[in-house]
Amino acid sequence: MKKIRNRSVSLLIIAFLVICGMIVYVLRYVDDGKEWALYFSRSNSGSTGQLLDRNGVTLAYFSGFENRFADDATTRTANYHVTGDYWNRTGNGFLAEYWDEAMGFDLITGTTQAEHSQMLLNIDSTLNNIMYKHLSVLEIPIDEDESLTELPFEPHTVHQWRVAVDGEGKLIEESEKDVLIANSWDRPRFCNSAMMVCNYRTGELLGMISLPTVDPMDTETPPAEGAYINRCLSASFTPGSVFKLVTAAATIENTDQLSEKRYYCEDEYYIAGVPIVCTHSHYNQSFELAMANSCNVAFAQMAVKLGQDTMVNYVKQYGFLDKQSLDGIPTVAGSYPTEFVGDPELGWSGIGQSTDLVCPYAMLRFVCAIANDGVLLEPKMINDGKAPKAERFMEASTARKLQEMMSYNVSYSYGGEHTFPGLNMCAKTGTAEIGDGDTHAWFVGFLDDEEHPYAFVTMVERGGGGLYVAGNTTSRILQEYIGNSEGADE
Amino acid sequence: MDMLIFYAMTTSRYAVIVMSVLIIVRCIRSMLSERYEAEVWAYVYRGDEAIPVCHWENLIGRSLSVDIRIDNRSMSRVHAVLVRSDTGEWRIFDIFSKGGVWVNGMKVSPYGAQIHSGDSINLAGNFLRFLDINRYHRSLLDAQRTEAGLRVEPFITLMYLTVFEVFLMIEHMCTAEGQFVKAICLAFLGLICLQWLCYHLMRFINRSGFEVETLAFYLSALGMSVAATSTPEDMFKQLLLTIVGVALFLLSGWWFRSLKRSSAARTPMAILAILLLGVNVVTSDAVFGARNWLEIGGYSFQPSEFVKVLYIFAGASTLDRLYRRNELYSFIGFSALCVVAMALIGDFGTALIFFVSFLVISFMRSGSIATVLLAVSGAGLAGVLAVTVKPYIAQRFAIWGHVWEDIYDKGYQQTRAMSAAASGGLFGKGAGEGWLKDIFAANTDMVFALVSEDLGMIVAVCMVLAVLALAFFAMRSARHARSAYYAIAACTAMSMLLVQLSLNVFGSLDILPFTGVTFPFVSRGGSSLLSCWMMMAFVKSADNRKNASFAVKTPERTGIYEDEFDEFDEEDIE
Repeated sequence: MKKIRNRSVSLLIIAFLVICGMIVYVLRYVDDGKEWALYFSRSNSGSTGQLLDRNGVTLAYFSGFENRFADDATTRTANYHVTGDYWNRTGNGFLAEYWDEAMGFDLITGTTQAEHSQMLLNIDSTLNNIMYKHLSVLEIPIDEDESLTELPFEPHTVHQWRVAVDGEGKLIEESEKDVLIANSWDRPRFCNSAMMVCNYRTGELLGMISLPTVDPMDTETPPAEGAYINRCLSASFTPGSVFKLVTAAATIENTDQLSEKRYYCEDEYYIAGVPIVCTHSHYNQSFELAMANSCNVAFAQMAVKLGQDTMVNYVKQYGFLDKQSLDGIPTVAGSYPTEFVGDPELGWSGIGQSTDLVCPYAMLRFVCAIANDGVLLEPKMINDGKAPKAERFMEASTARKLQEMMSYNVSYSYGGEHTFPGLNMCAKTGTAEIGDGDTHAWFVGFLDDEEHPYAFVTMVERGGGGLYVAGNTTSRILQEYIGNSEGADE
Repeated sequence: MDMLIFYAMTTSRYAVIVMSVLIIVRCIRSMLSERYEAEVWAYVYRGDEAIPVCHWENLIGRSLSVDIRIDNRSMSRVHAVLVRSDTGEWRIFDIFSKGGVWVNGMKVSPYGAQIHSGDSINLAGNFLRFLDINRYHRSLLDAQRTEAGLRVEPFITLMYLTVFEVFLMIEHMCTAEGQFVKAICLAFLGLICLQWLCYHLMRFINRSGFEVETLAFYLSALGMSVAATSTPEDMFKQLLLTIVGVALFLLSGWWFRSLKRSSAARTPMAILAILLLGVNVVTSDAVFGARNWLEIGGYSFQPSEFVKVLYIFAGASTLDRLYRRNELYSFIGFSALCVVAMALIGDFGTALIFFVSFLVISFMRSGSIATVLLAVSGAGLAGVLAVTVKPYIAQRFAIWGHVWEDIYDKGYQQTRAMSAAASGGLFGKGAGEGWLKDIFAANTDMVFALVSEDLGMIVAVCMVLAVLALAFFAMRSARHARSAYYAIAACTAMSMLLVQLSLNVFGSLDILPFTGVTFPFVSRGGSSLLSCWMMMAFVKSADNRKNASFAVKTPERTGIYEDEFDEFDEEDIE
């Protein structure tokens, strides 16, 4: 019988394997239990969650049985890149993460604890809706040479809201009509764009939109190409002339007797035999005037004078080369020639061309800091009741000088009150060449207005001229927004 | 009213967990830590040294692992077997020893020779005197042994179990649909009555070991809960099945009281097993991939479940037969038939259970690792063949470990099982509150997840521990069993249940391929429940603690030729 007992060790082996299996299961449960549970068991949880904008508008609501967004299609679509969706297709909305969190899984209680939670955002969905209304109608200027191409789908009719814009970008007509899409000419090619508005005195991010966008409740229309990319955070673009603000900041801090300084521009300027081209001949101009003229020659000279090391230091200092984080959502880093490139290329980089790439969010931080006298209040999209992180971003005197110059830009070059009625605008335009003839239209700046301390960045991909497209659109958006909020106040 | 239900539900949820843990802990303590002394059936004297004969089958030899060790070079490592029958007759068998065996000077053939008290045994020149002891002395010796259930009283454990069942019933009363509440209550109360009836029956026949039954009832109660959750309309059927299961358990246990009876039934059982499988292969229809159901008069049953019991019946063997080659060969043939039949039926999981049981039995019989390796490699070849012939088996393997990549088709059940199991946390959502019950086969193949979701991971782990405890107990009993037959049967029964449990639990959790077998006692399925109860009888038959098991006769009641030894000298045994 001893033998039999000894041989019963075979049963012991099986029992041991069962115990090992249980241990494997428990370890996996600790590791992945949350993912498993939330995959199918959400509907069994009694928890609910709500994502609200600053005015209490529901941007998303979920319970065990349903996942909803805002009731209104425009609000859903305009705020899509703020919320993201439950399945995290954008990769950087709050909703997916919040959805998991609010469902309250933990290893001890599983999903059995029901909780009701709310998440407040600083975002104003009204502002996003206004931005959507004005940005979504911008079309890419039609290239005459473009040949007819076949449609990838059957001809069909679409209902369109169109605006006609005059040569200066002024709205002259709005119309709604049905358009037959029969060939590629008829298909409107709307611009991709990105815009953010932030209160520079409090750090609250009021608006953020990226086009094209998606109606998360619309399961039938296929999303436009790149619709899931948030262009405010997850993309970087050639900045063009808006980058002159950076070169200007560096020049202010590194040049003695700047007010005496004059920059001479005669259409073209050769650096080591390579021409830097300007829009006009600006002849003799002061530093301020060079900015107002957005003179390429002057800023190329400044960049060369500062030298590459100084330029790189400033670009780094202002955070353009780093990944930033908006409430924990990582943004992409920009680029600037950091390896030795030689003076001509350095000149181009000083005016925002060359290999310069800027993420709109990094640009927003920069203008916020300028507007707030050099102190950056890190923008916050979530209202968690905590004060934003404050940091000395640039010298106060530099910031004030840039404020003055941006104000001067508007009054001297951009049409002042005529272009921006009712807005105390300080800004810089950018028309960034991207090499194929098209240009990105940029408009960055802030309102010098203590009631409406808004800093903004507007970028329209392949939109055309910075002032005409981005500037005028920004003006219309802010007018409507401020008009609305004042109307509401009364 | 709502508040009342809420409080009742919350209290019950936690009470069920506490009771589960208490029951398992008490049973484990009782089964694995209580004293377990050997019985003494006779003595052999070698000179003045008295060696107790502690089993009905005793190996004699030079090896360290024999029961009666005679350390002398002339002895073979395994020399002879000393065997006692139910009736108290002793025989000695020479198992191919080099030196040979003589009784009173007569050479013993491989077919053995009867010996009587006082006989002299010559094992290759080593002389032993055999002395049997009579009933009176047996009872004297037995009185010195520790009775089962002294330290951990089975009555109290059973009280805990009853409390557990009552709270489980309350949970179901809170969550079940109105029309089923009555049936659920009656079924639970019926189960409680059944277990107390069973307990009092044991007390009546003066048996005090009740852990095996307690654990089986614990698992049956969980099975009842699963039934109440998933098929509340079938509560009476479930209760009826449990009653029949317990009846079969008692009947089988009674059958095992006689070794002769058990041993003699082996060949008929094997034939019955093959017949059942044969009928199954020929007649049954495909039900969800496997044709393992047989329908008779409106009742469907799974022959393979009963074949499992018959297989153990036929496969276990007494020690004297273990050393006969042809016995092993016919057993291998029988096993191969069973596995092939299951493969033909397409029940991959059960085929695997049979195969592992075959390995356990053949290892316990032969002790030869080479045999096991040979069998494993043979099975490996057969497996490759099966996968090529039946592509859906290959598919199951393909999805194994990747279930989350195909959550709508091949990983459908596993992913849902894992999700539901995790969502219950440690304490569960409350009986009947989960959603997994609506998924196909939740109450059979994914029952671990169903219990995890409803009653929490602690109870689900207790459920596994209950079967593990039974397995360890079977191993412990194997050391002391009267006959190798009981030891092998108990160990094989438990290894079968453990393999079945692993395939069920780990299959649904994607740790093993998903094969769709049942969890012992807990999964819905009449045939499975009945066979599990019968398997418990094997475990009971090996439980040789004093007055522990109804399936084991007390020493003074064994043997009919008692008066023969009345003249036996009392002083001899001291």
